[in-house]
Amino acid sequence: MTLKGKNIVITGCLKGIGRATLETFAKNHANIWACCQKEDQEFLDSIQKLSEQYDVKIFPLYFDLNNYDQIKQAFKQITDSKQNIDGLVNIAGVTYNALFHMTSIEKTREIFELDFHSQLYLTQLISKLMMRKKSGSVVFISSVTALDGNPGQIAYSSAKASFIGATKTLASELGNYNIRVNSIAPGVILTDMTKDLPKDKMDALLSKSKIKRLGTPEEVANVILFLISDLSAYISGQIIRVDGGIG
Amino acid sequence: MKNKNIIVTGCARGIGKEIVNTLSENGANVWACVRKPTEDFSLFCTELSQKHNNTITPIYCDFIDQEQIKTAAKTIMSDKKPIHGLVNNAGITLNRLFQMTSLEDARKQMEVNFFAPFLFTQYIVKIMIRQKLGSIVNISSTAAQDANSGRGAYGSSKAAVICLTKTIAAELAEYNIRANAICPGLTQTDMVSESMSQEIIQETINQTKLHRIGQPKDISNAVMFLLSDLSSYMTGQVLRVDGGL
Repeated sequence: MTLKGKNIVITGCLKGIGRATLETFAKNHANIWACCQKEDQEFLDSIQKLSEQYDVKIFPLYFDLNNYDQIKQAFKQITDSKQNIDGLVNIAGVTYNALFHMTSIEKTREIFELDFHSQLYLTQLISKLMMRKKSGSVVFISSVTALDGNPGQIAYSSAKASFIGATKTLASELGNYNIRVNSIAPGVILTDMTKDLPKDKMDALLSKSKIKRLGTPEEVANVILFLISDLSAYISGQIIRVDGGIG
Repeated sequence: MKNKNIIVTGCARGIGKEIVNTLSENGANVWACVRKPTEDFSLFCTELSQKHNNTITPIYCDFIDQEQIKTAAKTIMSDKKPIHGLVNNAGITLNRLFQMTSLEDARKQMEVNFFAPFLFTQYIVKIMIRQKLGSIVNISSTAAQDANSGRGAYGSSKAAVICLTKTIAAELAEYNIRANAICPGLTQTDMVSESMSQEIIQETINQTKLHRIGQPKDISNAVMFLLSDLSSYMTGQVLRVDGGL
């Protein structure tokens, strides 16, 4: 598969699923706007290496998920480049583990801000560019916890569940412009975010999965690649579980 | 898909034929099952295998006949090659209101759309279990999930396919065998143009988010994704390829 000449925006590129997605897209010859929170020398070195290795352009962009001015500023860099954007992968987000009665409404608002509203805002900006050329593909990262629930993740799972409605509504609204919108619901993936899960929770989740192992960030990245590529040209408004068969 | 060996059923036309084409383009060898030998199909297989320098082996099997299913499976096994994937695509359709559908019609839908892949898969997974490797893709339908009028018999048979897929995924995961289903929506094939009026086709297109009919290639690309290692952490899933119905 090749995405040669395609320009893709990926958020959350520093670690985990985002980093694996960055590498997978570079390997498949896409040019990338690689977004992360703040400048980091190790990150700069690694994107430099990737772009040389696969002969692609990778531009770093920096913004905080809760700073809309910074998001707008990043978007301006994209528009200033006069490049089309073919795909947007919203990966950046945070996790939060607390029982319902231990979760303040302020904290819940904060999680929604970081895990849902900022992604929606960036998508609002980027999809305008896609509408102009009447094509594009947007991917959100939801979670199996949004579909199945997960004790101790009320704020996180609810924010991630918001993408389910957003995916279907945006698929409808943006379908008129030949823009596809889909979500991935990862199961338990080996990242820093799941590293902190208590062992009993982890074992319980793994025992539910048919493939009795953690997923790798690369396995999620490969499905994102499929959804951004034309191989999925007739798939829109879908929530795709990449969970080793939990549900 | 280079050097992967894949079985595809229902390859004479439509989605099945395009699946063979896509897999061959991407370097796979295919056992292509069709009901009966025709010159056109032999020619299609020969040309394709020459073009892409791989093997396309026609297998003849009427999936309504248990004996023929067994023979087809035996023929494939006698090649003694590893089997990386199985695509259960062969099927029949019926548009008839519930009150007008005879039990006989319903049984026939079940026979071809459900029992045939059930039995065929039983034979083929024996090899996959031994190899500890395999990916199964079953072609279901959006009719299995959406319950459209006139699709009682067809939709029920395709819904049974979904349950079978999830069960196979659960039972065979320990042998490193994945099973997923695809639900095509409205797809431009002879089966659709023969069984649906132009008016209903247009109405359905208007309901899709992407405002177009699906092409067989849209389905075959998704099949290839599920057969390939790109989907190595996906099993027991139902993937709608329907333009957003």
